[in-house]
Amino acid sequence: MNYTELSIRFCGIAGDGVVSSGKILAGACANIGLNVMVNDIYSAEIRGLGKSTTTVRFAAKKVYSMGDGIDLLVGMAAKESIAEVKDVKPDGGVIYDTSTPGDVAEENSLAAHIPPELHGYGVPLKKLANAASGTNRGKNLVAMGALCYLYALPPDMFIEHIKRLFGRKGEKVVESNIKAFQFGYEHMEEHYPLNNRFEIAGGLSPQASISGNDALAKGAMDCGLKFFAGYPITPATKIMEIAAKELPKLAGWTIQVEDEIAAISAVLGGFFSGKRSMTATSGPGLALMSEMINLAVMAEIPAVIVDVQRGGPSTGLPTKVEQGDLNIALYGGAGDSPRVVMAPSDSEECYTGIQLAFDIAEKYQTPLIFLSDLFLGQRIETVVLQENIDRERCTRKKPTPDQLKNYMRYQITDDGVSPLLVPGEPGAFYTITGLEHSITGNPNYEPDVHGMMTAKRYRKFESMKKDLPPADILGDEDAEIGIAGWGSTIGAILEGMEIVREQGIKSKLIKSIMIHPQHEDSFREFFASCKKIIVPEMNYQGQYAALLKSRYGIMPIEIHIPAVDPVSPLKIARKIKEANHELSK
Amino acid sequence: MKHVIIGAGAAGVTAAVTIKTIDKDAEVVVIGEERFFPYKRYLLTEFLCGSIDEEEIIHTPGESIKEMGIKLRKGQYVKAINPLEKTVKLFHNEVMPYDKLLIAVGGRPGLGPVLRPFQKHIQPYYSLRDIMVLKKKLPDIRKCIVFGDGLSSLDLLCGLCNLGKEVTYIIKGKRADFSLVESEFYGELHDFIEKKGIEIITEDRLISIEKVNRHYRVSTLKQKSVTADIIFAWDYYKPNIACIKETNMEKKLGILVNEQLQTSEQDIYAAGDCVEIYHPGIKDYWINFGWPNALEQGEIAGKNMLGQKEKYKVHDAIVFNLMGKSLKARWWK
Repeated sequence: MNYTELSIRFCGIAGDGVVSSGKILAGACANIGLNVMVNDIYSAEIRGLGKSTTTVRFAAKKVYSMGDGIDLLVGMAAKESIAEVKDVKPDGGVIYDTSTPGDVAEENSLAAHIPPELHGYGVPLKKLANAASGTNRGKNLVAMGALCYLYALPPDMFIEHIKRLFGRKGEKVVESNIKAFQFGYEHMEEHYPLNNRFEIAGGLSPQASISGNDALAKGAMDCGLKFFAGYPITPATKIMEIAAKELPKLAGWTIQVEDEIAAISAVLGGFFSGKRSMTATSGPGLALMSEMINLAVMAEIPAVIVDVQRGGPSTGLPTKVEQGDLNIALYGGAGDSPRVVMAPSDSEECYTGIQLAFDIAEKYQTPLIFLSDLFLGQRIETVVLQENIDRERCTRKKPTPDQLKNYMRYQITDDGVSPLLVPGEPGAFYTITGLEHSITGNPNYEPDVHGMMTAKRYRKFESMKKDLPPADILGDEDAEIGIAGWGSTIGAILEGMEIVREQGIKSKLIKSIMIHPQHEDSFREFFASCKKIIVPEMNYQGQYAALLKSRYGIMPIEIHIPAVDPVSPLKIARKIKEANHELSK
Repeated sequence: MKHVIIGAGAAGVTAAVTIKTIDKDAEVVVIGEERFFPYKRYLLTEFLCGSIDEEEIIHTPGESIKEMGIKLRKGQYVKAINPLEKTVKLFHNEVMPYDKLLIAVGGRPGLGPVLRPFQKHIQPYYSLRDIMVLKKKLPDIRKCIVFGDGLSSLDLLCGLCNLGKEVTYIIKGKRADFSLVESEFYGELHDFIEKKGIEIITEDRLISIEKVNRHYRVSTLKQKSVTADIIFAWDYYKPNIACIKETNMEKKLGILVNEQLQTSEQDIYAAGDCVEIYHPGIKDYWINFGWPNALEQGEIAGKNMLGQKEKYKVHDAIVFNLMGKSLKARWWK
């Protein structure tokens, strides 16, 4: 069988090298110019031998999602891998370890759960790893050798990558890893005929790969982040780790505080003093930050809050993905509390989007919630980052010399944005408070003042809309079926559209990193051109659909997926086909 | 009740189907070493020659197995049986309990001590996998050497001849004859093969094989040297019963069974090419080789595993077709 794309999942427990397997395979593929996406899933428990999986999907063409199903399961821990067999596509394969010491009960045997329509490949992973290195640790490399043979991939792509990856650990480590790889390859060669081939087109150039969290942290630092405050939480901690390591090199500072309330407070302090500041958290942390975000609204202090969403509510599903925080991001504040909400759809948008986020937050003196999610944050994908973006940086509106003579921090303006001085600048003497205030900043509870200041705070959003670029429209322009998606669901939507396109069904997608506010004309025009509108999202309520319904008066077909795994393109394709069927009646 | 069947060949699969047909609630697990759905081994040469395709060679397709609720374990084998515990141990150390066990592992060709060191130079010709590998090599093959007795070698000669290959057939005897009961060859099989253009070297045997560039040079006992692109060779064909090694099950060349195909161990049956059954005519145990026997034994074993008492009647010969002519041959006489 010839393949132009493959999806391979490693499943094991702590110490099996599952995550590093994904990195090795992804790195080797990216090095030869293939497009890659990697998704890790692990248990929420920190202690014990929890199960983890990493899935690597690669192809010569652009990979937008994790796709549907897997072609090969590498079961490095038998019992834990049994549940993964159902994801293997018909005619796909399962590699299982035949060198497990001691007896294995039938119910715990991976081999016992491989249905006959799949191909089972017994490989003595532990035994060969031990033969190569004297420990079990190289069994992921044995598995790598096995799959290299299985799909007729060039062994050099792995060997070169192993050298690069383990080179700093010394020649002996490189040698034993290469030996483990070769043992796996040779075992397969000896026992199994070569029936599969992954077709690699020539002329591909090596690609860089990056996770959403990495891209986001890099993007923030590339646009002037100087202060990060945070409290660790899955799946956002990586951002803080990067900031802690890299920010000091850029004369910046990272602080781990006692909780999320302290983190957002520190960020407001950082921005108040004129430094680009950011925090990163997940749903539970965002809930704790609510009141301080309100302070940012009221005091008009910029703030960038990254929420890498996970399953909720409460502690919820710390290691599973969900897009359930849209409502709290949009509406999670007491009173009339406007805030900007953005949601990137891939690592590239994490990089460019966070830069736009800083510009918007700073220009419009507003808190901004940047909604990433676990899948997007942790997955590694090959991207070309548009570094050193050539665009005029949005900076603070400064008072004119005339305004400075009698500086009013909350001066009423047409665009709602008041000139801003930070403490230490000449003339920067004003009151800042969470209480309603007059244009000077001094507390004032008069109804007229409250009405005026509330209108001013909302007026900034009207001005902001004029700054926004039109939404992206992808797919068949003349299609009657339109899809509105957001965040990491976009990839699955694009692939779902591709599936139905091959069957002659046209569809189109509107996507924007801006959730609130939006370039509304784009959306109105798009919706007007559609006879059927589909809104898929990874939450139970249909939070984005509710927003679109209230904003544009549409009645979409909603797909609510309270997800634990990334969305399936096939599920999207099925809905498009259903919509098409209804249209053709 | 859990019925475990070792072997997914004709006997094993027929037993499984028989059990599920009679008792659809029975749990039936079939463990097959090969990685294919059960196929018709007797059609391998036709598949090699391209006269049938892969679908036609399959005996029991996956859908049928699924429909019947048979659990087929492809590409796995049993390395040990524990009749006391009533368990089997698979090659990956999985231990599977059974209520009734059928051993239907068949037989396989093998090499003696002289040729065993040259195994890597010899093209196996026994399984569907062997044929698939061979099919890929065919375009590069012009000259072949076949060394081995039995109908399998005749079958192979026939296939290679049909494919237009140059064949040298090396035999130990004076003439290429077999233990034929009756045939349309009237004792002229040797001449018939020669007339088909196959060179026959008699009263000789292979003693070494050497790889020279992309070819193989074989040396014979009589110091002949022949070069070919591929070598087929086997010294014997015998039951493949390594899995009973650690048991006290009665055996000779194959597993000894009674007329109801029961072995000497309780709740363990055996059928097909791996068993020897007492033949009253020759007053000894012998193997009823071949596809029709395997089907019959599989059905009887399946019924008896469910508590029936059906008996198997030994047969003398199997019918074989060689380039359009039929012959009957005795096996394991």
